[in-house]
Amino acid sequence: MTQILLIEPDKLLSNSYSKALKSVGYEVDAAKGSQEAIYIADKIKPDVVILELQLISHSGIEFLYEFRSYPDWQDIPVLLHTNVPYVEIGDNWQYLNDLLGVKRYLYKPTTTLQDLIANVNQVFLNKNE
Amino acid sequence: MDRLSLLNFSDPSYQLMINLAEQLKLPFIQIQRQAELIAIDNNHNNIKSIEISASYALKLIDNYLLSLRLAQQKMSLEQEPVSIISVLYDSGQLLIDLAKEYGVDIELDVSGKFEPVIAHKKGLESALVSIGSSLIEAVSTQEGAKCRLQLATHKCRYGVVAGVYANNPNITTDLLRQGRKLIGNARQPLVNLTYSAGAGIFVADSILKAMSLSLKASRHHSLYGLGAVMRGSQQLQLV
Repeated sequence: MTQILLIEPDKLLSNSYSKALKSVGYEVDAAKGSQEAIYIADKIKPDVVILELQLISHSGIEFLYEFRSYPDWQDIPVLLHTNVPYVEIGDNWQYLNDLLGVKRYLYKPTTTLQDLIANVNQVFLNKNE
Repeated sequence: MDRLSLLNFSDPSYQLMINLAEQLKLPFIQIQRQAELIAIDNNHNNIKSIEISASYALKLIDNYLLSLRLAQQKMSLEQEPVSIISVLYDSGQLLIDLAKEYGVDIELDVSGKFEPVIAHKKGLESALVSIGSSLIEAVSTQEGAKCRLQLATHKCRYGVVAGVYANNPNITTDLLRQGRKLIGNARQPLVNLTYSAGAGIFVADSILKAMSLSLKASRHHSLYGLGAVMRGSQQLQLV
């Protein structure tokens, strides 16, 4: 079964995303912050990571640097699902995409649960091709 | 001159508005996703969650408007003798639903004898509820121990403090100072405390300022928190 690591600090949103992803058959483990996420990743070996950039203390970008520093986690696809608008990511997208393995950018306010599921499906399919 | 150029971007009320707008995205996204979820799993328990998120957003907007009206002196400050204990109790009641949603326990610690203070009751209550709602989000992310918030009061050398406290050592004077500098310019002015814009704390800051009170970081026993410092009334104590 496909394991998803969901890094979402807001408990209510985390519950909604987890329920939606579980309803289509994914296994979801949720983390509220980057340290907890590393701990869970070590335990479950996720197939896909969904990441919010706005976390407490350590940002999502800091998480990515740490996550990619482990050899086993180099190829795990990451989806940015964030409140930070694309315009603010701007030039950094290429860097995030090429060097940190971020496959998709999803703006949280306009991404429906169905959009999120569709993007996870797509990323998972591409990974296995 | 167009309207945009008339705006003063360094104006604190403008910065508070940006911060509030950023904060309000959260309950609106929650409402949107919970509504979608009803369509997916047909679980109508989510309706209660939608109500709570909407009520949180409305309360925040109301408190923001109160801070503006007080600052513009469009609302008269009807100072009255206020029992801090009753304000803390009422504020706690207003926070209970949101706290439950986030899995946070609300406690009241009002042991001791406290004289009434002269204050604007509604303003003080709005400030405490605003602080509380921000701290509920913040403490819900803490790992390990059970998440709890304590509404409490104690005497200090400046008078009486009424505040909201948590087991979170990141709530410091420095955090508040930095936040005040970053508001309107950063998405997370209180990055070491909360993942959101922390608007409740800045709205409370603004309300208290308009009431000639101040928001301060303080300790209550082993807990850390934010509270309003007020002067007790010696005369009222005699009544």
